[in-house]
Amino acid sequence: MTETSTDFNGFRFLPPSLGAWIKSHIEKRRFEGSIPWTPLPRALNELTFTMVTSAGINHKSDPPFDMEREKQEPLYGDRSYRKISRDTRSADIDVNHLHINTNYIKEDINVILPLERMAELETEGIIGRLAPTAYSYYGFQLESDEFLTTAILPMAEQMKKENVEVVLLTPA
Amino acid sequence: MGQAARVLEEKGFTTIVLTPTPEFHHMVGIPRSVGIGYPYGRLLGDAGDSEGQRNVLMAMLEALEKADTPGSVEYLSFVWPEEPKDAKWHPPEISPIVKVRLEEIRQARKEQK
Repeated sequence: MTETSTDFNGFRFLPPSLGAWIKSHIEKRRFEGSIPWTPLPRALNELTFTMVTSAGINHKSDPPFDMEREKQEPLYGDRSYRKISRDTRSADIDVNHLHINTNYIKEDINVILPLERMAELETEGIIGRLAPTAYSYYGFQLESDEFLTTAILPMAEQMKKENVEVVLLTPA
Repeated sequence: MGQAARVLEEKGFTTIVLTPTPEFHHMVGIPRSVGIGYPYGRLLGDAGDSEGQRNVLMAMLEALEKADTPGSVEYLSFVWPEEPKDAKWHPPEISPIVKVRLEEIRQARKEQK
């Protein structure tokens, strides 16, 4: 692993107790093993991009993510996903997430899923192409990896159909 | 999000995760991470700040080009203009998991001191 040297504190925005709790979990479970790696195949302006966020965004024409079950079962997080077409704008979306303030995303989707910014980079020729579909799932997946099967793998299938090569991911 | 990146990378996609808590890579083994000191839910910048969002996105793409080792982490130097206590990223109600684990969370802080 390579890291740029830093005094970066990723717990800075968290209340101290919550930060200490999360940090203790990270320290308990140190990753060992190999890390998958697909090299960047060509220059950015020759590649097809998409984006995935775990912010719980849905197009208003699609069902919202389920927050009620999590309220009853605090370890459960909705394991589904939503397609977000590249022309989706802030007025088209709803956002459901019990761990963040969702108002900023509702006001401007680009704060977490920068569809308009990526379309601009496409127009300018900085990236090759933004795929027709971006994706959202629900980031609170505490004690189950089931979302990898119910959300991430179906996304990957759609990405292959749209010839995606690079995926930018933004957790909420 | 790190697990999602791993699965996508295994499927042949090149991935990069923009995250406020890059420390998770120690737990998950994330192919490429970019740390940013911005509040949860606004990792690209503030609502309406298209220039700031673009700057972060460009920095993310630069990090993508630069990363040459599995598990690489790049830290961006952007500084959020508000103190964390003023950033208002919290949900309107305490999340369900925090409610049920409150004692454990308080204890973690005591043990850290």
